[in-house]
Amino acid sequence: MATVDGGGNPEELAVGCMLSIRTTLGDEFEGQVVTFDRPSNILVLQEAPSKPGPGPGPRRNIRLLKANYIKDFTFLGHAEDPLDPTNCFLDLAALQAREDLAIRQAEADAERIGVGVTSEAQSIFDALSKTLPVRWDKTVIVVMNEVRVSSPYHPDSVVGGTPAANERVKKVLDFERKRLQLRSSSGQ
Amino acid sequence: MGCRNRAESFEEDHSGASSLSEALLLTTMCIIGLPVDVHVKDGSVYSGIFHTASVDSDYGIVLKKARMTKKGKGKTNVGKEDLVDTLVVLSCDLVQVVAKEVMLPTKSFGGNITSDDGETVMHDICSRESPTCEVENHMKSLTDVKHVNQSRTPVQNENGFTHCLPPSTAAIDFERNKLPVNQMRTSTEVDCGKTDKTNIGEIEAYSGSSINCRQAGDDNSKRNAGDFREKPEFVKGKLDEKNQVIKSTHETNTHLAQVEAVENRSYMASNASDNGFYRTNGNASVKADDRCSERSTITNSAPMSSAQGIDLILESHNMPEKSVEISAPKGTDSTRNTKEFKLNPAAKIFSPSFVNPISTTASMPISANMVYVPNSSPVVHAAAVQPETGLSTFASLPSMPVKVAQYSNLTVGNGGSGSQFSPPIVGQLAHNRAQPLRYGAHYPPVLSEHAYLQPSSPAVMVGRSGQLVYVHSVSHDLVHGGTAISSISARPMLNHVQYPKQQGASVGQPIPICVPPPILTNAPQPFALQSHIPLLQPGFPVTRPVSVPGPNGYYGAKFS
Repeated sequence: MATVDGGGNPEELAVGCMLSIRTTLGDEFEGQVVTFDRPSNILVLQEAPSKPGPGPGPRRNIRLLKANYIKDFTFLGHAEDPLDPTNCFLDLAALQAREDLAIRQAEADAERIGVGVTSEAQSIFDALSKTLPVRWDKTVIVVMNEVRVSSPYHPDSVVGGTPAANERVKKVLDFERKRLQLRSSSGQ
Repeated sequence: MGCRNRAESFEEDHSGASSLSEALLLTTMCIIGLPVDVHVKDGSVYSGIFHTASVDSDYGIVLKKARMTKKGKGKTNVGKEDLVDTLVVLSCDLVQVVAKEVMLPTKSFGGNITSDDGETVMHDICSRESPTCEVENHMKSLTDVKHVNQSRTPVQNENGFTHCLPPSTAAIDFERNKLPVNQMRTSTEVDCGKTDKTNIGEIEAYSGSSINCRQAGDDNSKRNAGDFREKPEFVKGKLDEKNQVIKSTHETNTHLAQVEAVENRSYMASNASDNGFYRTNGNASVKADDRCSERSTITNSAPMSSAQGIDLILESHNMPEKSVEISAPKGTDSTRNTKEFKLNPAAKIFSPSFVNPISTTASMPISANMVYVPNSSPVVHAAAVQPETGLSTFASLPSMPVKVAQYSNLTVGNGGSGSQFSPPIVGQLAHNRAQPLRYGAHYPPVLSEHAYLQPSSPAVMVGRSGQLVYVHSVSHDLVHGGTAISSISARPMLNHVQYPKQQGASVGQPIPICVPPPILTNAPQPFALQSHIPLLQPGFPVTRPVSVPGPNGYYGAKFS
């Protein structure tokens, strides 16, 4: 890349290049250089849109790659600066909101995943969660905050709660177990 | 790259100490709050929500709710199962950050990620926009209002203030079909602008509001036909925000607010008039809708700093499709404007003053009626007052529903009132008064047309018994002129004048008995009619150009 060396500003020249990159960790991908930040040695790439997204613009994967982990790369072509400088605006409030939402979502998702439980227990939990409010208490599934379903999560391991609630949970659990068995058996 | 400069300045404000390039910073900002995969030196991959990055010297990042999704060969203090609330990945460990499905502000990306940009843009545009031009536009809009009021027909409005020529021929009308209205308008605006100089505060404010226009123009110009649908909402949202900002900042400047309000109104009126006019033209109506909606979204910045205005309109002309969808937002826009008025106290205060010129202009023609009115009954006075208030509301509030309601009230009054004379007069007054405004603002909207016609027709029925016939004739003329300008327009002026007389004759025939008492009343009535008609004349010739055959059949049916 003699031009890069010969040019006045290598970062400017490199922007827009289509590269195929292999990293020292074995990743291989193609992308277009969005920018190269010399102080941090980070190369920002955007991959070609895999599929037309639902939004107004194409959604792409963005990679921020430390340049010193590039094993080798192939120059595929040159395009113009992918960034539209006239549109470089950010709404900090929107970003904040997006992050908050994502964190809340992540927390909610995390709570749905039992720690130290079998995958069967997790699938039972997921099945129950479709019809009843459930949460994990360690390895115990707590339904409607009163009925506890402990390992091995059979209908006879349902304890607590009002008789009606208990019965209902047993019923649902039994039903869901049958469905899961049916699904697993049919799937295999 | 000027844009780059802007980005730089933007970053300088927010991260002066950053040593990172602005593009990296921008990218970093774009992926905040998004789920990312972070590859670290030992081959592990952590997935989490990108929280922030250190931009001082090394590019370290912070993830929220991170979880190891791929175990590397190195030993880490982060278990595979655990969800790490906050994971800091130092620059020395970082290999790669992969964010999926991100929208960078790339060139193919028409919209902005955010709405914050408005502020930045504002500054740029403020400096770019020539302030005098803006002021001219606004002042012009003030004067335009009068034109709208005086001239009943939309066409005349256009002609009146665009070319300062007397209302003229169909040729111009057709021209208007082809040309963006604003082109004409802007030309005159420039001329008039010289005379209008206002205070600097206004200028600033207007250049501020002009941003709306500019930005809308930018956005619109970037979008293609496919995206056109989204445009109104998109632009509107932005405008709303900015309008509020602008108003809140400049609310203290009452003068400014006033002008703004008037501007809104006048443009609503002109928009409406355009719309109405095109309505009657069938094919053109689509365009009118588009433009109307578009303009109404921009109403606050309505004066259309020349270039953008043209762009917008040209664009709307280019895409005649789906008038229906856009016309719907238009209605909401008008209501939105009214809301804005409410938001702006100054505008409220001003609205009466705005009405006054209308009443004065209208009063001259109406005066004949007024004279007549006292004779008939005092009730009329009250009625007459009502229309005025109604007008004021009309003028200030372009929203349709209000008007329709009032109008229906008036017609109801006709039917219900016991006194023979007063009701018709009321109806007339209402018609007279309301019409200038209606033509300007109310009629154009399609919705209003139907609503209006219906009340009028019952009035006609009532009219059979008494003098109402007179009213009904006039009202019909007016109504037709307003609702279906095209139909009436085909008729020469004389027809209108003659028409009431014919009616009177016809009335006399079927109800000779009624005539004697009414005769006294009849005498004034013709006057009233005449007074009306002359008033209408300025309006009608203008409408005439829009020739739509078939009115004759209508009239014949009525009278026979």
